[in-house]
Amino acid sequence: MEEHSKNGPGRELKFVVGGEVNIRQDPWWWLVAIVAAITVLLVMLWPVPFRDLVLFARDGVLVTVLVTVSSYFLMLIVGLFGGLGRLSKNKLIFGISSLYVEIVRGIPLLVQLIGWYFASPLIIQRVGLWLNLQPLIEYRANPIITATVAITVCYGAYMSEIVRSGVQSVPKGQMEAARSLGMSHFQAMRHVVLPQAFRVILPPMGNEFIALLKDSSLVSVVAVADLTRRGREFMAAHFNPIETWLMVALLYLILTLVAARVVSYIEKRSKYDRY
Amino acid sequence: MPEPIIQIKDVKKRFGRVEALRGVSLDVDEGEVVVVVGPSGSGKSTLLRCINRLEEYEEGTIIVDGMTLDNTGNINAVRREVGIVFQSFNLFAHLTAMQNLMLAQCIVRKRSREEAERVALALLAKVGIPEKAKAHPAQLSGGQQQRVAIARALAMNPKIMLFDEPTSALDPEMIKEVLDVMTSLAREGMTMLVVSHEMGFARAAANRVIFMDEGQIIEEATPDDFFRNPREERTRLFLSKILHL
Repeated sequence: MEEHSKNGPGRELKFVVGGEVNIRQDPWWWLVAIVAAITVLLVMLWPVPFRDLVLFARDGVLVTVLVTVSSYFLMLIVGLFGGLGRLSKNKLIFGISSLYVEIVRGIPLLVQLIGWYFASPLIIQRVGLWLNLQPLIEYRANPIITATVAITVCYGAYMSEIVRSGVQSVPKGQMEAARSLGMSHFQAMRHVVLPQAFRVILPPMGNEFIALLKDSSLVSVVAVADLTRRGREFMAAHFNPIETWLMVALLYLILTLVAARVVSYIEKRSKYDRY
Repeated sequence: MPEPIIQIKDVKKRFGRVEALRGVSLDVDEGEVVVVVGPSGSGKSTLLRCINRLEEYEEGTIIVDGMTLDNTGNINAVRREVGIVFQSFNLFAHLTAMQNLMLAQCIVRKRSREEAERVALALLAKVGIPEKAKAHPAQLSGGQQQRVAIARALAMNPKIMLFDEPTSALDPEMIKEVLDVMTSLAREGMTMLVVSHEMGFARAAANRVIFMDEGQIIEEATPDDFFRNPREERTRLFLSKILHL
């Protein structure tokens, strides 16, 4: 660490490292290239069924990416508040956020998805009847929105624990020093504690993205036409499970491998000398 | 005679069953340098941390610069006037030395960037490391980190500086550079309350030395009297232990 730091001020260092990440420094890009090449090769050599499947499922890929990205950013926000709530001295806030984390983590995501999709509309409709509100009575679940909400709630609970541990990993003296300079608790959190916690939680945050991308395939059971569901539809129409799931797996693999590279790139960029 | 800038009256504080402070009273005048010594666990750090309310106390009163420390919202107002330097430096690890000095100036004192930068550069020069402005804490030696920490506290223009064992975490060869900064600060008339066992500093810069044991002030005297003829048996015992080191 000491040797490393002689190169100059850490902030500049960080961008130099970040700017030079390429296929030579990160050989795992070769794996991405190979998987992509196999996919392209299959599509070109056997247009039936592979090209047909890719054309058939490309809107599914978009839905998978859309659900993943939107629920990821939403769950980061939920996780930030959940994590800070788990650290709150206010017993009510602490109690609510702890209850949320403990309950949600204890129920499988698939069960939560199905529950949100099939049970929540009925509850909303009944509340609507009770309040006599027409829009609620006529409420129908939008598959993509419902699935996004379900994933956000579920992953937000895991993220809360990641944020909590990240904040706790920042030495207590940092908060004390900030407070002793006259900063409010909020200012100290925002300018001193969270920026340092962020660097600690970046790797698990990246893992969560990849895990979420894969778990997004579960939304296919609640009428969301994602990549997995489009694959099932294609297989049902053409009776070719081997080719279908080979191609679906390859498409997922490209997405996750690229995501993993982007995550590792961001991690390398934000590394800096610490105690 | 103006009012003492720090007035501590019969302050009591407990951690669970342990009585950390059992009725401590102490006045510090403006411009005075007071060194507090005592065995570990005697409550000296706790007393210091009560003055800017990093610790709460159960009984008694502390008045700093005319402001009574109580449960109302004036904590940040008091903390603006009281700088503290910690044993473990506690520099903001994600910021450069310069940014460490500028952060609170900008968001607490509401100074402009340019002004904060000017103040920060002047203070880094004052503590003798202007060339380290762009270094991160991990790139600095312990002595340099502690000097940046002193500069960071001074950047807020405090009326009082508290030092909580500022040299205890330092390698021996770095202690002097930190004590030199503290001594020159004392010469400039800064009000200082210093928990430290650096006898050289106490002799050179202190107006008073206070000996604490088991949550109480046992003895206070001028540095000369304190080290040459301590009145209390407990003080003598303590001095015989630390001076033989």
